[in-house]
Amino acid sequence: MKRILSMIVCGCLAAGMLTGCGSRNNVADTAQEAGGAEEENTVEAVENTEVPGEETEPVEVKIWHDGDEAIMGKIEATVNEALKDQQISISFEKKSGLTDQLQLYGNDAANGPDLYFYAHDTLGTFVEMGIAAPISDVAGEDVFSGLLPMTVEAGTYKDVQYFMPVYFETLLFMYNKALWEGEVPETTEELYAYMEAHTDTGAGTYAVVNQHSTAYNVAPFINGFGGAVIDKNGQPGLNLAQTIEAVEYNKKFAALQADGDYNTVTTLFNEGKAAAIIGGPWLVSGIKEAGIDLGIKSLSDFKLPNGNGLAPFSGVQGVGVLKHAVDEKKDAIAQVLKVMAGREVGEALALGSNCAPANMEAYANPEVEANEMIIAIKETAETAQPMPNIPEMSVMWGPAEGLLAAVNKSGEDVKTAAERCQQDALTAIADMQ
Amino acid sequence: MKKRKKLIPWLQSMPAMILIAIIIVFPVLYTGYISLTNMNLYHWFDFKVIGLSNYARALTKVDSGFLSALLTTILWTVFNMVIQVSAAFFIALGLNTEGLKIGRIYKTLLMFPWAMPSYISILLWRVGIFNTEFGLVNKVLVSMGLEKVNFLSRNVPAFLSCMVLNLWMALPFMIMTIDGALQSIDKSSYESAQMEGAGFWAKHFHITVPALRVVIMPAVIMTTFTTFKQFDIIYLLTMQKGALSGASLQTIITYAHQNAFVSNNYGLSSAVSIIIFGIIILFSLWTNRSIKED
Repeated sequence: MKRILSMIVCGCLAAGMLTGCGSRNNVADTAQEAGGAEEENTVEAVENTEVPGEETEPVEVKIWHDGDEAIMGKIEATVNEALKDQQISISFEKKSGLTDQLQLYGNDAANGPDLYFYAHDTLGTFVEMGIAAPISDVAGEDVFSGLLPMTVEAGTYKDVQYFMPVYFETLLFMYNKALWEGEVPETTEELYAYMEAHTDTGAGTYAVVNQHSTAYNVAPFINGFGGAVIDKNGQPGLNLAQTIEAVEYNKKFAALQADGDYNTVTTLFNEGKAAAIIGGPWLVSGIKEAGIDLGIKSLSDFKLPNGNGLAPFSGVQGVGVLKHAVDEKKDAIAQVLKVMAGREVGEALALGSNCAPANMEAYANPEVEANEMIIAIKETAETAQPMPNIPEMSVMWGPAEGLLAAVNKSGEDVKTAAERCQQDALTAIADMQ
Repeated sequence: MKKRKKLIPWLQSMPAMILIAIIIVFPVLYTGYISLTNMNLYHWFDFKVIGLSNYARALTKVDSGFLSALLTTILWTVFNMVIQVSAAFFIALGLNTEGLKIGRIYKTLLMFPWAMPSYISILLWRVGIFNTEFGLVNKVLVSMGLEKVNFLSRNVPAFLSCMVLNLWMALPFMIMTIDGALQSIDKSSYESAQMEGAGFWAKHFHITVPALRVVIMPAVIMTTFTTFKQFDIIYLLTMQKGALSGASLQTIITYAHQNAFVSNNYGLSSAVSIIIFGIIILFSLWTNRSIKED
């Protein structure tokens, strides 16, 4: 009896373990299934198509993001309000490490999202993986007509528009008005002179802090000197003479800018131990909480010794459509994109979160026009360079930051480090294939 | 009847074996399969079997960088294990001193680093201990009128800093193991030795160490493997994306990660994983053989 019982229990346990391995009918497991005209998707697509005289079914569009939940909340509220009569709603879900998550679920209709909301620089990766659909598959060209050209260009990969910009960011010069003495300089040399006079590293007080060994934060110098982290053809530019010159120039600033780690520089500024910081609009909420009277200046207003302004990268935040969602929710997604590209979302983001909207009409709002930060970002964006969106960029951050850390933190010779890191970058790119 | 008797244990252990097959064997086999394909960013869904070329590529990565990483890994493992076992031995002896008051509180406090999630411990040490502006060590140095030191910007201080943190995190396990083993030693042996005139060192060298050896060996082997394939301490302290410290310290695992896993080339990174897996299996076989010979 005991034996029989133990056999039954063993059998039940084994069966129970394997229960989770079953598949659901509507899961699209492979690219072919999701990309092709599979039966289940076709049935759902038909179900979602509006038929005159019939009541439409509510449609929820699921969007994954890795950004600020308050910003996503504003977009969600505005879009849902605009589309409530059409019974279309969106829901944002935060996923840390979104690129990795989309690699796993980007093609999974059952468990993955319909859209993703992310920075434009990962676009090439998603397109090459075969999970991103062209925007033209769901919406017409007119959806881009009211958007800033720079943001639209950032969402183009191999001449196809895969990305619908919503807002954009650039680095800014942010200073504490209570601590900064006199006028903010017009040139980087004057800025350096100010830093030398007002920095006491032993006491832990700084004139300006910056993430001096992070490629994104040093890009204003690299681009301003005419160098490049990587060019449009995927060729790394770490050992270009202009890049080396820029890294060498940045080194003297780095010596007066504390460790350069994000948490360190942010805390120094928020605690009043640094008079200025080079950072983005994402720092503003913390700065406001710290009660700092914030002044802002566009980085492009600082002239380098070669006469060029500092030229940061611009990062465009926006939405991409996943291929499987085109078949299932095409009409709903088209409506969502239209609202997201519109003036209401732009104004809501500008007024509520200090984001610079991609929609041009939003700038006509007097309150937006009076926002010092948004206008500084818009001004900087005119000379800023959109971050490269080619897949090779994803492996460039490591070698570029390796170069900066070696020079600024370990005191390695710039040329030697540049050659080594250029080689690392070439190897990393070759390893992608 | 005999056949049936033989079959029953297999059937009874079947659920556990299925579980092991799903959790351990399948991922290894699948990684082996992926290592034979060209699965990468450009062939995410349409990948195909390409034979052993990923292995050929992975083996060409056994360059000077790999050899230096291997040397660092060996030094890292040896230093950590020697210090860890010795320190844990003396601390455990201290905890077993006769007449020690509130010994349980000491033991609980010593367990604390082990109970904390390693990710949190590492980031706390990075900011709270080693940071140039807010770290405890630099605060002490500045208060003594000395210059700030960036402990993580160069290889030797970074290696030592990582080692101190690893010891802080790993010692509790070893202390607990040795403490437990010490309880099993017959106290009368010490009394006899004392009557024979044996001192502190003689007692422990001739009685404690031989008695502990067999008991703590599994824990030492397990910890050696954990230390050998240590990734998170070195990565999070010195190589975290966006916060590189300047040190170029590499162990074979961080080296493999940097060279194969950031490229989204799953075929190549799987081949590297299988090679490392093979090395660890060989190491494990060799260790087991050594124990049997003992």
